Amino acid sequence: MFGYHLKMVAHSLRRSPGYALLVMAGVALGVAVATMFSTVRHTYAKDPVPSKSSVLYYVRLNAWDPVLPHENGIPPMVTYMDATAITKSSIPVRQSPMFSSELIVSRDDDRSHPKRESARPCFGDFFAMFNVPFKYGAAWDRKADEGLEPVAVLNEGLNERLFGGADSVGKRLLIDGRTFRIVGVLDRWSPTIRAYDLTVVDKATAPPESIYIPFHFLRPMQLRSAGSFQGWKVEPAPGYEGVLASEDTWLQVWVELPNVEAVDSYKRFLDEYAMGQRKVGRFLARMDNRVTPLLDWMMERQGIPPETDAMTLVAVLFFVVCSMNLMGVLMAKFLARAPQIGVQRALGASKRDIFLQLVLECEIIAVAGGIAGVLLAALALIGVNHYAEDIFYRDDLFHIDWSMLWFAIVSSLVAGLIAGVYPAYRICRVPPSVYLRLQ
Amino acid sequence: MDIDVGPIFRAMLRHKVKFGLIIVEIALTVAIMANSASMILQARRDLRIPSGFDDENLVSVVGRPLDRSLTDQTRINEMLREDREKVRAMPGVRAVVNTYMVPWSSYSMSTNLVQAEGGSGEFLRVQMYSTDEGLLDALQVSLIEGRMFTTEEIDESTRRLYAAEMSERKPDGTLKITFDTDVIVSEAFARRAFGEPPWVGRTFVESDGSRSRVTGVIDHFYKPYIDKHSPVSGYVSFHPYRSANPHVTARFLVRTEPGRAAEVADALPARLFRPDLPREIKAKTISYIHTMYFGPQRLVAGSMAVVNVLLVLVTALGVAGLTSFSVTERTRQIGTRRALGATAGVIVRYFLIETSLVTSTGLALGAVFAVALNLAVTSMIEGQAKLDFAFLVFSMVLLWFVGLVSAISPAMRGARISPAVATRNI
Repeated sequence: MFGYHLKMVAHSLRRSPGYALLVMAGVALGVAVATMFSTVRHTYAKDPVPSKSSVLYYVRLNAWDPVLPHENGIPPMVTYMDATAITKSSIPVRQSPMFSSELIVSRDDDRSHPKRESARPCFGDFFAMFNVPFKYGAAWDRKADEGLEPVAVLNEGLNERLFGGADSVGKRLLIDGRTFRIVGVLDRWSPTIRAYDLTVVDKATAPPESIYIPFHFLRPMQLRSAGSFQGWKVEPAPGYEGVLASEDTWLQVWVELPNVEAVDSYKRFLDEYAMGQRKVGRFLARMDNRVTPLLDWMMERQGIPPETDAMTLVAVLFFVVCSMNLMGVLMAKFLARAPQIGVQRALGASKRDIFLQLVLECEIIAVAGGIAGVLLAALALIGVNHYAEDIFYRDDLFHIDWSMLWFAIVSSLVAGLIAGVYPAYRICRVPPSVYLRLQ
Repeated sequence: MDIDVGPIFRAMLRHKVKFGLIIVEIALTVAIMANSASMILQARRDLRIPSGFDDENLVSVVGRPLDRSLTDQTRINEMLREDREKVRAMPGVRAVVNTYMVPWSSYSMSTNLVQAEGGSGEFLRVQMYSTDEGLLDALQVSLIEGRMFTTEEIDESTRRLYAAEMSERKPDGTLKITFDTDVIVSEAFARRAFGEPPWVGRTFVESDGSRSRVTGVIDHFYKPYIDKHSPVSGYVSFHPYRSANPHVTARFLVRTEPGRAAEVADALPARLFRPDLPREIKAKTISYIHTMYFGPQRLVAGSMAVVNVLLVLVTALGVAGLTSFSVTERTRQIGTRRALGATAGVIVRYFLIETSLVTSTGLALGAVFAVALNLAVTSMIEGQAKLDFAFLVFSMVLLWFVGLVSAISPAMRGARISPAVATRNI
């Protein structure tokens, strides 16, 4: 029976392709706008590290001024003293202190054109924690972190610029006047939101850094933060060592905790650490140390821009208007087909058969429109990405993923129902005799 | 005018669904248009906020060394002076200031809580920047009280500040050398902190204990406005200090002759090239920085505008389709009326009145929808403007015309139906 329905649908589509195209275009327009705006919203809302976000936690400590609380309640970053102390804990499966910086980088065998590159000093654990893909080589191990081995990991873009994309593992770089050995090259990696560093809010969409080196090099190389840096107290000594020994907050600490027990014992560990620090005159403000799950931290720090909510609402209403518009078109179309339907009814087709056949016809056209709509949305987003490259520091921020593709297909099915059900219902109730008389 | 609205209206009631559809569609369109208009205008208002500076003719330039060999502060200060003179002598340049303040960049804001002495005692957040002699000329602000720093004061203050930074600390961790710095503040800040003028000689204390004394007051900084997304405000204090260090050896805000900002920005990297020190020189016009700063607002406004144009087109097609359908449905009825002496004009009028009835009902319902949607949107976005009545009226008037124009062509087709149709297929 279904096969027969399909045949009938194919027949009527061949007879009047014009109206089918019109309905398709309507659905395509509605779906394109809805998909486009939903994708923009989805970009800010979706999980940037789906496989790991449930076990990654952001660490904050309240070592701020006891007199004047921090404007966010507690500072969003930690001091060097605290970052180095708490990352000695054995509770987390993996952990890393980190910050964004800039390094002067050139090939060791061609030092003529050094360039400043965005960098992230971190532990070797960072890559496994955030599921960072490697093209060549691998991350450095914990020995390299502890023994301060001069190793580096490059991202794909920098490897392209320096080595033409070849496997550069084992090659040497000159970084800030020191020689480093490349141990790994990242594969293409562009998380939507850079969840591991949300300290500068409007840089949350920036692409990841170009080069990664062991965290502890910050001290001998005197690396400064290229991101946020907040303090409340004069450094106890001049120069860089003064910053390291001060209450200035500028580092992020991430830990990987596999289960609830680990989270609890890690929280206890932090509180004990803070209590211990009180004995030496620090942590005098209220005790407030937090271990925040990645997605919660993302929403607290960044959230979804409210404009995208409003725009998505408008897009959905637009989609409804488009679908309603098609209802009128289909009414006219089906009515014109009444004589033929009368014949079918007279030859024994039930109301239900007619109804199903008409709805099926609508849905086939609608899904075709939906597919066209996705293509249209993808094109439009390429345009938006290109236009917004300078705003978001990249040109691939908004793209349609599987979930958005499903959204578009489901939307088009809904559009087909909104537009088609009522006209089909009206027309299948037509008594056959009326139209047979007119033949 | 022998057409009565009554029969038209009663005929419409027999097609509730068909007309109901288009009424709801028009209502939704009005709601979306009126609300988008207020969103677009909100974004445009943000874009048009004057900074209070000559943005069009300002360029920011930053030079960062590409090796770590340069650490001697005396040499760095010499370089800064040489670079400053090089920039000042460029064709097209009117003024230069060495400061880390860049209009519309949300990065270099260094705010601290301060308390006015002998004031209300409230803690205020104020932007703090360094400046040299070029401040007034580059930003085109003028003093309403006091005076500008002299070259000697700036050099002296730079020396002292650097010495303080590099000095040993007391056991309690505070600086051994304490000193008052002189500052130039904006009128908005002075008024808030100290109340009525005169302000010169008044002092305020930072949360770390350092004290600042007002030397001069400038008439404006940014045009103050309150916006939770933007830290830009009219409160500022400028300290006499030449800012250059091993990481950033050149940092200037340059005012150019009218219309020459882009050209100066392009020429700056070559101008600041030093054979003895490889550097990365980045020069950007403030117009560009401003464009980026408001990028998201522009995206919102642009995409909303596109959606609205599409929406009006779709609704117009809807009205045209409906009228066309009505005409087709009543082909024989029209033929009969024409055979009985109705003129083409009467037929056209019939359909236009029908359309007007539909759109008017849709517009009335749309006003209700618009208010409801606005409640939804304002609950989502803080600071989003309330629905402006003018936009609502404008959207309604526009749509009424669009509806009427869309109906004309199908109505004319109806008028062309020959009376002979009535004689067929009875």
